[in-house]
Amino acid sequence: MAKIRERYDALVVGGGIAGMQAALDLGEQGFEVLLVEKEPSIGGIMVGLNKVFPTLDCSSCICTPRMAEVSHHPKIQLQTYTEVNKVEKRGNGFVVRLLKKPRFIEEDACVGCNLCELACPIDVPHEFDYGLGARRAVYIPHGNAIPQKVVLDVEHCVFCGKCEKVCPTHCFDFTQEPEEVSTEVGTVILATGLNITPMGAKQEYGAGNLVNVMNPLAMERVQSSNGPYGHVLRPSDGKIPRSIAYVQCAGSRDRSIGVPYCSRVCCMYSLKQALLLTHYIHGLDVTLYHMDIRAFGKGYEQFYRRAMREGVKVVKGKVAKITEVENQDLVVRVELLDENGRVEERRYDLVVLAQGLVAGWHAGNVIAAEEADDGFFRTPEPKVDPSHTTLEGVFAGGVSAGPKDIPDAIVEAGEAAMAAANHLRRTGWHAVAGVSLAVGAATHQVAERCEVC
Amino acid sequence: MSEKPQASQPVKSKSSIAVLRERHGGMTAELKEYFKEQQRVRKALRGALKGGPKTIPELAAACALEKPAAVWHVMAMRRYGEVVEGEERAGYMLYALKEA
Repeated sequence: MAKIRERYDALVVGGGIAGMQAALDLGEQGFEVLLVEKEPSIGGIMVGLNKVFPTLDCSSCICTPRMAEVSHHPKIQLQTYTEVNKVEKRGNGFVVRLLKKPRFIEEDACVGCNLCELACPIDVPHEFDYGLGARRAVYIPHGNAIPQKVVLDVEHCVFCGKCEKVCPTHCFDFTQEPEEVSTEVGTVILATGLNITPMGAKQEYGAGNLVNVMNPLAMERVQSSNGPYGHVLRPSDGKIPRSIAYVQCAGSRDRSIGVPYCSRVCCMYSLKQALLLTHYIHGLDVTLYHMDIRAFGKGYEQFYRRAMREGVKVVKGKVAKITEVENQDLVVRVELLDENGRVEERRYDLVVLAQGLVAGWHAGNVIAAEEADDGFFRTPEPKVDPSHTTLEGVFAGGVSAGPKDIPDAIVEAGEAAMAAANHLRRTGWHAVAGVSLAVGAATHQVAERCEVC
Repeated sequence: MSEKPQASQPVKSKSSIAVLRERHGGMTAELKEYFKEQQRVRKALRGALKGGPKTIPELAAACALEKPAAVWHVMAMRRYGEVVEGEERAGYMLYALKEA
């Protein structure tokens, strides 16, 4: 694996779809980019999704070519399993301190053969499947992971040494320790993504204690062809569900949990999942309880109509409570808003909470870019400079500035990349001595690419 | 003859998991218990499946397991090639040991 150099043009924090887009847009302009991802693989949340709305394209089929392009791009250095510890302004650039976490392998030597994973004797809940599936203590994060390199989870290691014994390339290096490295960059793009509101936030919906109340990302994995079950089954007993309820605004537009805003994607991902469920399970009763449907994007309203035409029941109603009854079935107590507020209790095999989006990462004292009250990065001029943060030279791409869907995240990541490129040109920063994209001075190599002059 | 690494120097013996074990203090008591229980459950599931394909509730009953735990263990065995999925029976999938 390439060593981290002393200088780059840009640091992109986060290897999800937005971070990858920003890195590619900068790399294509000839800038030297360092893309840092805290997980062992790039791809972010999108690579774990089943399909995207409203086209129902396979999500990983869109995401994985970008991942491959990033990993092979001559101007992008990919640094996975690495945390950003500190970003400090210095002159017209930034000093960046990174913490490389140990994979306990020599990455260049690992060929991703998986033999060590198959030999490892212990199974633990797999984060990629939200705990529904299993992985080993030594594992490749998932089939589409980039890089296809193993990582050893030392907290769950039984220290049997079987992984090392079966490795055909002798890539294990158990002496590795966390390593802090520094570099300098001219600009920073924060593409730090999202989390969903915690399952425990809503006591009335079981506070995360009801096994058949699922979060929407777990349902994405269950629906995926490479998901934990291979079928849509419920986690309590492996039953093929015959009835599923979606509870909208289960983590958004809710001051009681500190998320007063609309998360913008929940209506559409719920409709998408509900529609696909009717395709996967014939005769399924799937009902979506909502305050109002917000189908604002291109083709979204048509998708909403399609979902209803194809059997998804969309009911205006506020779910007050979810209770577990015998056989771990669920009773949903709902106020039916279109029926004069009549309250009814309905029984389901499975319930999915349409949880909202919150910021995936908080700057704390890592970087001096301000966060807004909602926890996302503040962009003081959202209409004219949507990616500019409060710290000059630092730009927010994708969901780091606020909830948005995948197309908008990609567009805004591209905008962040252009703003970062303009910043580099203004400041005259150059990653390589004598090579400046800002003034078109210097080499043939640059001149033929940037077209500035 | 290899040199014995000194405590004050970075250990560079790639062939020894003992380095890692020592550095991390070995398995915690909690992890030991978790691993032991996992081995017990897997043995019980294999035993139950030797009698033929079963659904998750049948396996849970045969192995005195909570059903959610049975789901997780069977799916782990499926992922790593010990168990294969069969037909559907009364709303549940059947699972069987993979033939060698």
